[in-house]
Amino acid sequence: MASSMYSKVDEYGFERPESFDYKQYGNFLSQYIGVLAKRAKRWEDLKPTDRFKKTSTLKRFVRKGVPSSEREAVWMSISGAQEMQNESMVQYSSLKKYMENTTITEMIKIDIPRTFPDNIYFANDSILPEQLFNILATFAHHNKEVGYCQGLNYIAGLLLLVTKSEESSFWLLKVLVEQILPKYYIRSMSGLLIDLDVLDEFVQKNEPALHRHITRVGMPWAVASTKWFICLYAEVLPTETVLRIWDCIFYEGSKVIFRVALTLIKIHRQQILEARDLGEMVECFRKMGQNINVVNCHQFMIEVFKTPSSFSNRYLEKVREKHSALRST
Amino acid sequence: MANRTSAAQRPNGSTQGKICQFKLVLLGESAVGKSSLVLRFVKGQFHEYQESTIGAAFLTQTVCLDDTTVKFEIWDTAGQERYHSLAPMYYRGAQAAIVVYDITNQDTFARAKTWVKELQRQASPNIVIALAGNKQDLANKRMVEYEEAQAHAEENGLLFMETSAKTAMNVNDIFLAIAKKLPKNEQTTGPGGSGQGRRLVEGDSGAKAAGNCCK
Repeated sequence: MASSMYSKVDEYGFERPESFDYKQYGNFLSQYIGVLAKRAKRWEDLKPTDRFKKTSTLKRFVRKGVPSSEREAVWMSISGAQEMQNESMVQYSSLKKYMENTTITEMIKIDIPRTFPDNIYFANDSILPEQLFNILATFAHHNKEVGYCQGLNYIAGLLLLVTKSEESSFWLLKVLVEQILPKYYIRSMSGLLIDLDVLDEFVQKNEPALHRHITRVGMPWAVASTKWFICLYAEVLPTETVLRIWDCIFYEGSKVIFRVALTLIKIHRQQILEARDLGEMVECFRKMGQNINVVNCHQFMIEVFKTPSSFSNRYLEKVREKHSALRST
Repeated sequence: MANRTSAAQRPNGSTQGKICQFKLVLLGESAVGKSSLVLRFVKGQFHEYQESTIGAAFLTQTVCLDDTTVKFEIWDTAGQERYHSLAPMYYRGAQAAIVVYDITNQDTFARAKTWVKELQRQASPNIVIALAGNKQDLANKRMVEYEEAQAHAEENGLLFMETSAKTAMNVNDIFLAIAKKLPKNEQTTGPGGSGQGRRLVEGDSGAKAAGNCCK
């Protein structure tokens, strides 16, 4: 971690933005290294059985960050991917054999070199792109309802960088799309359209003045937030922040996406209000990942779970159902 | 590239002539080069592997035509078929559209034709549509004949150019051609409004919008 302090790329091989503030980052990192060391020790002290059992302790541990060395195993377990893999009658290696050469695989092929082209690992490694293709093509073949949706390439690509395992990445992608997230990726993208409406309602409730301003400027949520839902903040926020968010999505589900969205909006309230036209507003949303309060992933995640203090999946489902009904009338 | 963004700004208040603002949308199949055309036009750059657009991107660029400053508000959309359901929100109220296809791929031309039909049916009645046959630098792999696309453009009253975001060929030209064709009456704003929140009036944004004239 420390070695990347003055590097132009982060530890996952992503280039830092041009305007990256290395000094502020250095200040954050010098604190965060201590946090990481402490968290690693706490995880070590956790009984092996407690590491994978969903308890309030583990939930708290996950919110404070899963050590990077543990991520693959912990994600596999808390997300249900491990269970899915165990219960599957067929191994990934044999699922892979059924790949057909279709227009879908052609489309995936075009997108492979367009996935993280600036990432040093993807650019300099010939195996990663091939593994990414295998994951996406195998998934597309076995989930006909989804097939391939642009955006999944970023999720699978980041899973691959973190787990370094093609097989785990496949099951994690599968559990995300089929169990954890709403129907974002199917042909109609109905789950996305509903969640954009849900976000609009939440912002209106939590930040009425801001909501009025955004409406007046005329920015559709689809512009600012499609990537939030589709890519789960990959390609939007700094990598370490994204992984901290994913820790919680794998454990707590898609409501975490809304918590993060509302926190981003709250942190940038002033900048959004100061945006005088659409161009300024879109730019403000685009640059949110560069804010030190977002780069500081540890503090950011504390904010994420501060407001609202409680946010149940049941409540979210109710709001989703309401907007689903509104859309179909 | 003459009209690329430069940092130079005219002193406040010296607005000469009119400022017109137009909403322009880019449509077309995935990976035909929509984002690359915009990147070339707005920033003068080209990336061999442009990341796929998820949702849409919004950029602005200004060109000058005689005494008129034309500010384009550009909506660059995602090309994959399933993102289609989001497209109407971007072309609604648009005064101009560039429908892009890849000259090395016949399917993308077929898709471009259906985009043109959809725009003629659903978008503003006076929308100016340009057809762009992109990747002209790969003309040795051409699958769509120039004459075929030109004939389609003529039949449908479209502007037509073959472009290359890679070499910059015709990129500025196609935007300029659109700018010329757009009606530049006073207060050119979206027909029917559609609540775009435009508040650009003459002189209002002299320092902001009119900074990069090409002539």
